[in-house]
Amino acid sequence: MGAGTGGAGALTAAGMGGMRMFDGIQFNSLSEFFAMGGYAFNVWSVYALFAIFLIANLALPLRKRRLILREQKRRLAVLDARDDSAREPADSAGWEVSMAGDEK
Amino acid sequence: MVRFSVGATLAPPGFGKLAGTVTDCSLALSIAAASVTMSAQSLGAAGRGARFVNEVEKVAGRWQWFHRLGSPKWFYEKTTRWLPWLVGAMALFLTVGIVWALLFLPPDYQQGHTSRILVVHVAVAGTSLSFFPLMAVAGTVTLVWRMKLADMVARNAAPLGAWFTFLTLATGSIWGSVSWGTWWEWTDSRLVSMLFQFFLLLGVISLRSAIENAETAARACALLSIVGCINVVIIKYSVDWWNTLHQPSSPISMEVGSPNGPEFWVATAVMIVAVYLFLAVSLILTTRNEIIQRENKAQWVRELVAQAR
Repeated sequence: MGAGTGGAGALTAAGMGGMRMFDGIQFNSLSEFFAMGGYAFNVWSVYALFAIFLIANLALPLRKRRLILREQKRRLAVLDARDDSAREPADSAGWEVSMAGDEK
Repeated sequence: MVRFSVGATLAPPGFGKLAGTVTDCSLALSIAAASVTMSAQSLGAAGRGARFVNEVEKVAGRWQWFHRLGSPKWFYEKTTRWLPWLVGAMALFLTVGIVWALLFLPPDYQQGHTSRILVVHVAVAGTSLSFFPLMAVAGTVTLVWRMKLADMVARNAAPLGAWFTFLTLATGSIWGSVSWGTWWEWTDSRLVSMLFQFFLLLGVISLRSAIENAETAARACALLSIVGCINVVIIKYSVDWWNTLHQPSSPISMEVGSPNGPEFWVATAVMIVAVYLFLAVSLILTTRNEIIQRENKAQWVRELVAQAR
């Protein structure tokens, strides 16, 4: 177990049995960290699920946003193309005349 | 566009502003206040009349925030500004919470290193209880004021709530397989009421797609969300009412080494804040998606689409 000295000392509580709130890193080696005191499967599967849960609920909305924007951009392009071919110069002139009439 | 601007110049002063806010959402109170403002304005602006108009505008202004809250455009613009801060805070709290729980949390004298599971489990489980109240509040707003935005939030909250509830059940089960020696127990009230919340959320989601009329579906989901809050109370107190397997929450203690000492609950509190921020970020992202989808005919969304690469 770590010594828990230094910066963590400020957070040390005068608790039971000399235990401290921060006792440093609880593992002496990387293999000990992965082993999790014999509960490697339980601990790591929970953290794996947690990671999937976090990533999925951020990445999927972002991916959907890109798809929506792309789809709507295509739709707008189609609409614009239709507008340009349908609207003749005479048509827009007539539109302006009717607007002028409205104002009276 | 042209027609609208011509109309605005012809209409009495203040009409354009009113028309804009009315189309944002149909909030009866604000509309009433605004129409009183309008008629008062048309009465003339001298002496007592002007003061009256001032008063009415003040009342209308006081309700403006509530009114704007219902506007998808307002929500979209605000969250554009909030998101970087929320994401930053979420990343910070998640990093601190996970590193703390995995490396620094002292192993429990009975549970060993499986106590690291509880930091995630408690944070996610506690947060999952907020979904039905959230959907009930949004549903009430939908039922009473028919605010479009409230229904969008409620609709996107349900699948996220199902994710939360599923993760609660899964992590609890993985933890219980060590500490209780069993993955599942049908006679435990906490486990079963939590499973019921999962099915209730699936019910809300399928109710939405089962009813063809969007407005009827929104109202039915709102009702089910309000009724579903009863189950939240049952989940919360199940461990006290029927004490079977799932232990009641240990009282927070300031003594290091006690069942819920600061070395555990402070780490959990950090994780709870992280998970709540994550809920907010994810729900905002999905709601924004729905806004640009449903409001795709609005000019501001078209401009947004045009700007996208």
